[in-house]
Amino acid sequence: MLNIGKISSIIEKQGQSIFGQTNLLSNEEISDYTLEFLELFVLLVQKGDKPDHRSPEFKALRKFFGNASHQIQLRGGTLDEFVRYVQFLQRVFLENLESDSSATFEQTREILLLLATMFNDIVLDVFHSYLEEKERTITAQQEELRQTSTPITEIWDGVLTLPVIGTLDSSRTLVVMESLLSRIEADRAKVVVIDVTGVLAIDSQVSHHLIQMIRAIGLMGAEAILTGIRPEIARALTNLNIDLGDVITRSSLSEGLKEAFRRLNIEAVNKPRPVPAS
Amino acid sequence: MVDGMHLTPIGSRTVLLEPRDGMDPGDPEAYAEPLLQYLQRNQARRLIYDLKNVPVIDELYYAWLVRVSALCQIAGIDLVTANMRPAAAYALALMLTAPPPFTCALDVDSARGVARR
Repeated sequence: MLNIGKISSIIEKQGQSIFGQTNLLSNEEISDYTLEFLELFVLLVQKGDKPDHRSPEFKALRKFFGNASHQIQLRGGTLDEFVRYVQFLQRVFLENLESDSSATFEQTREILLLLATMFNDIVLDVFHSYLEEKERTITAQQEELRQTSTPITEIWDGVLTLPVIGTLDSSRTLVVMESLLSRIEADRAKVVVIDVTGVLAIDSQVSHHLIQMIRAIGLMGAEAILTGIRPEIARALTNLNIDLGDVITRSSLSEGLKEAFRRLNIEAVNKPRPVPAS
Repeated sequence: MVDGMHLTPIGSRTVLLEPRDGMDPGDPEAYAEPLLQYLQRNQARRLIYDLKNVPVIDELYYAWLVRVSALCQIAGIDLVTANMRPAAAYALALMLTAPPPFTCALDVDSARGVARR
């Protein structure tokens, strides 16, 4: 009923057209995938029962497509390409069925049902796999952004700087606080200069997180100096009636560093250039 | 000596308090008087509370520290904590709604140098 040989060459040719030309899969891989797919499909059809999502043959076929789509995604393939290919596979089987006059009405109906169920499930699986991969990428990128957007740097013995860029939500505050407090302990830091020049907007939640961070620094025995409060941030803080209390603030990072040095009894002086001997 | 804590005069009218495992912060009355007696006997002006062996400071423990601070304040003694662990500072910062009533120092040496209130 199914002319596997003919179908195999049609599928392989289309695979080369979609994936081979863009170098997503090599010709050998396309050939292997075609063979494996047809073997799994034949196993499923030969089972003879009505389509059952729980059957090992069905699961094996879905897993095959899941793995294939994952590999293509990793190599930069698009979802469109893969779904078009799956739809093409379905069309090939339907056309083959149409051209076969030996099948009874019952057999045709059963195969149509099988194909519809199978390919619908496969397309859904491919979508899920695509979304999961995208979410994984986004999560990894968010984590990297979180790490790089709040670097803690020791700029002098006992002086750490923490430039805050973007917004400061609860989860970010917790991550930053954990790193910062460990650094204070490890570096025996006495002063931490937190620069908020890069903070886009401040609301009661952001200021609450900042105050928590400053409080934690104080509990460790270090001093926090808050710098870079822009006029719009200062206005927002006053509008929100937020009292920074005893928090030391300075207008800029350089002023903050001068204050840090002052507290550590460190003085930076301009040393005159040595006059070269004539 | 006071049960539950190791007290050591370390010079400059400073006493170092190192809590022991058996100390129960839920029973401050058991320690308040003996502690104050010891401090006054040694004419202490500063008490350094070493938190290096205190992994977590919960509400109960913090209440105990506040109690010690209040006792010291009445007696004209400065309380300075030292060596608070990052995890303890982290958890405490999330819990507190106001700065603590005592000074915190990075370590015992820094605590010695804290200016008197």
